[in-house]
Amino acid sequence: MVILNFTLSEEGVSVFHDALACMYKFSDDVCLEARRDKLTLTTLNISKSAYVCFTFAANRFFSRYHFEGNAQYRDRFFCQLYIRSLLSIFRSRQGGDSARDKDASIERCDVAIDDGPGKKSRLIARISCRNGITASHSLPFESKPPTHAKFEKDEAGNRWSISSSTLRQLMDHFGPGIELLDINTDDDDHVVNFTCFTDKVQKRGPHGNEAVLKKPLHTNISVEMAEFNEVEVQDKLHIIISVKDFRAILQHAQIISGELATYYSEPGRPMKLSYSADGILCEFILMTVGEQDAITQKHKNTRARASKTPKPGSGPGPGPASKPDGSVANNEAKDVPKPAQKPPQQKTPPQPRQTQFEIRPPPIPPRSPVAARTDRSDSPLFVEQGDEDRQWDPVDREDEEEMDNARVEWNATGEPVLLRHFPLVARKKMANIHSRTRRPCELAVYWQDRLCPVMSQTDLLGDSSQPSSFLRHVSCCLLCLFFC
Amino acid sequence: MRFKTELRNIRTFSKLVAALNTLEKIAWVRLDDDTVRFTVIPDTGSQVWASLSVDTIFDSYHIQSNEANNTINLELPLGPLQRALKSALNSNHASLRLTKRDGIPMLSMTIHTMTKDAPSAARRNKNNSNNNNNNDDQMGSYNDDNDPFSENSLYQQESLELTMKREREKVITQDIPVRVLHPDTVETIMQPKVREPDVHIMFPPLLQVKAISDRFTKLAITTAASSSSSSRREAQNPKLELSATMHGSLRLRLIADTLDITSVWDSCLENPELDPAVLPVPIEEHPSTKYREAGPDKWATVRVDGKDWSRVLSVGRLEASRVIACFTHEHALILYVYVRRADDDYPGVGAGRGGDDGDDVVTYYVSSINT
Repeated sequence: MVILNFTLSEEGVSVFHDALACMYKFSDDVCLEARRDKLTLTTLNISKSAYVCFTFAANRFFSRYHFEGNAQYRDRFFCQLYIRSLLSIFRSRQGGDSARDKDASIERCDVAIDDGPGKKSRLIARISCRNGITASHSLPFESKPPTHAKFEKDEAGNRWSISSSTLRQLMDHFGPGIELLDINTDDDDHVVNFTCFTDKVQKRGPHGNEAVLKKPLHTNISVEMAEFNEVEVQDKLHIIISVKDFRAILQHAQIISGELATYYSEPGRPMKLSYSADGILCEFILMTVGEQDAITQKHKNTRARASKTPKPGSGPGPGPASKPDGSVANNEAKDVPKPAQKPPQQKTPPQPRQTQFEIRPPPIPPRSPVAARTDRSDSPLFVEQGDEDRQWDPVDREDEEEMDNARVEWNATGEPVLLRHFPLVARKKMANIHSRTRRPCELAVYWQDRLCPVMSQTDLLGDSSQPSSFLRHVSCCLLCLFFC
Repeated sequence: MRFKTELRNIRTFSKLVAALNTLEKIAWVRLDDDTVRFTVIPDTGSQVWASLSVDTIFDSYHIQSNEANNTINLELPLGPLQRALKSALNSNHASLRLTKRDGIPMLSMTIHTMTKDAPSAARRNKNNSNNNNNNDDQMGSYNDDNDPFSENSLYQQESLELTMKREREKVITQDIPVRVLHPDTVETIMQPKVREPDVHIMFPPLLQVKAISDRFTKLAITTAASSSSSSRREAQNPKLELSATMHGSLRLRLIADTLDITSVWDSCLENPELDPAVLPVPIEEHPSTKYREAGPDKWATVRVDGKDWSRVLSVGRLEASRVIACFTHEHALILYVYVRRADDDYPGVGAGRGGDDGDDVVTYYVSSINT
């Protein structure tokens, strides 16, 4: 049964190709998600620090678009594909000698996704060229739910927007060998600064002077605020992202549209960049380098990280109940500079962001909504995770869809030291859970035994220890659901 | 210690730096009241001593130090400098100053520049003005339902005023890391001493010389790659033989195991007159006089490494007003490249040494490989 069927015009093919080419700079595979009114391509990079989402409006972008759900995919269809194979299909074909030859350029492209019981799951793309040749490609795909990163727009008080072409041209002034881009404002001068730097060469031994000359260019570009279409940024706020990601985004933004808008809150919290054109919306969520990271990098001292103190006033502070846990965690970080963690730190100091996504296990349908509610109300769930008996709280009955939908969220504090290998663990467990969730009887035991250790880690790591923040999280989940 | 200047003739400056950068990554720069000197001394290969008068590349030049002539000695990486100059190429104006950031000395280049008017923005203007036509969008028209104003909460229409931003100047700061050298450390660095040249000759256009030299070098590499392994090491560094006479001939020759190719500019080049006033010996006793008297078959010859020679010839991009080569038989080749100034064609004064007479000259010392 054909679930999804759409046709792209010649321009549509090239726009599709551009989008995929942009995504390919972040990841190898892409999640395709189709609904009645839109087609969404998403991807998450391997370090989970950047998330890309392109949304194509069904009625505006495609010449024809038809989605028909089946039993398995009622409201939406999703699958995962290799970007490389898609890129080769949608690559533009040059007309060649247009005078001699008939035009070999693409006239249109029909894409159909066939899936269902007893069917071969295939994405079939049929490219019709102007010279009459039709090429059909049949791609296998993996049925894998997309991972969506969450971004709280309310929280992001800082924003600016500017012509992407201007910004793209400014990027040309940045030399090679740089990794980090610091975006900051100066209200006195009415400028926004884009500063590129790196800390790769930071060992200053006895012959440190030699190394000084090997440092790459330190480039700062000041752009008058008047040049921006909109600027609303806290004065002197420094936000640091990866230059590579930023370049990849701008390259695509320049093709697509005139205006790039950004939203962000504070260091260590995600930043969103978006731009849109007729029928296409491009969104990127990048993790920014946390303040500790920034300080560490500024002072070129990896050890500085260990002696950090909890940042006051940033988000909800650690709740009273969780304080012991929190301090333990801090002490641990302070006193025992874990040797296992140090080498990677020194090896990759310029790595701007550690894995900052926090993957929450998919919620489970509760056996009874009442139980769920009691659980939630009495559970300082995220408060006393120290004892490992706490059961993870199911969110809602309606969340059933979320079973297949691993939701990803930015870690609340972005503390890199502790978070380092957590998400991987969580992911593995999650995979296990996936295979087991089908049998509810096993579930409770399973959750108690396996999941809670993970949850307790979450507690130590994030500041989700606060009931309030937990509630916020729940509401966010709902929001997320709503959005999805 | 102060150094601050505006930049001019950025293109020339940039090309000079690019030419130096092919030979070595780090240069010694000596600034004083009158001249700027770039010196590149690679571990192996040819040295460059470039001397420019200050007003060739600088304007509103301020320099101050405790040394004589307000000399400042810097060591700087050429790659970043070249990159920074590239930023400055199409700028409104650019300046350079010595400063410190985080305790590290920096040569800070401040560039005031504009971005080109974005074509997409222009197109967007057009779109907005004739939005009713619902076409010509840079994305192409995807609307099948022919309703450009269909409500879609996801994709808001952009408002008109966004597209009418006035272009403003951007300020770019490029910080090049430098080391300030103590005078004592550079005291020992001397220009190579070479005896009076046997032959001095005006070079043909460097592009010609480079094309032929590179061709010879590549030939040597490819032929040796297919021959026995004994000569392979040799082949990695093919040697070219350069010879010249005092009768206007220049010869370029490659001798390999199986090859012997020669290219000759036959009696078509000029041997410039020497100025007796600057010669250490009377003109009659000068070696070049002896070579001239010995006739057109008296060649002064040097052997150079093909790859190094190719790097030397990359100075051709500078669009030199003229290039004079001085051959010291079996010893060295000195190449004086006179920099053409963008604003006024500076008349050269004889085959002068270095930039003492105010000439802007890049001097290459290529030593002969003795076999």
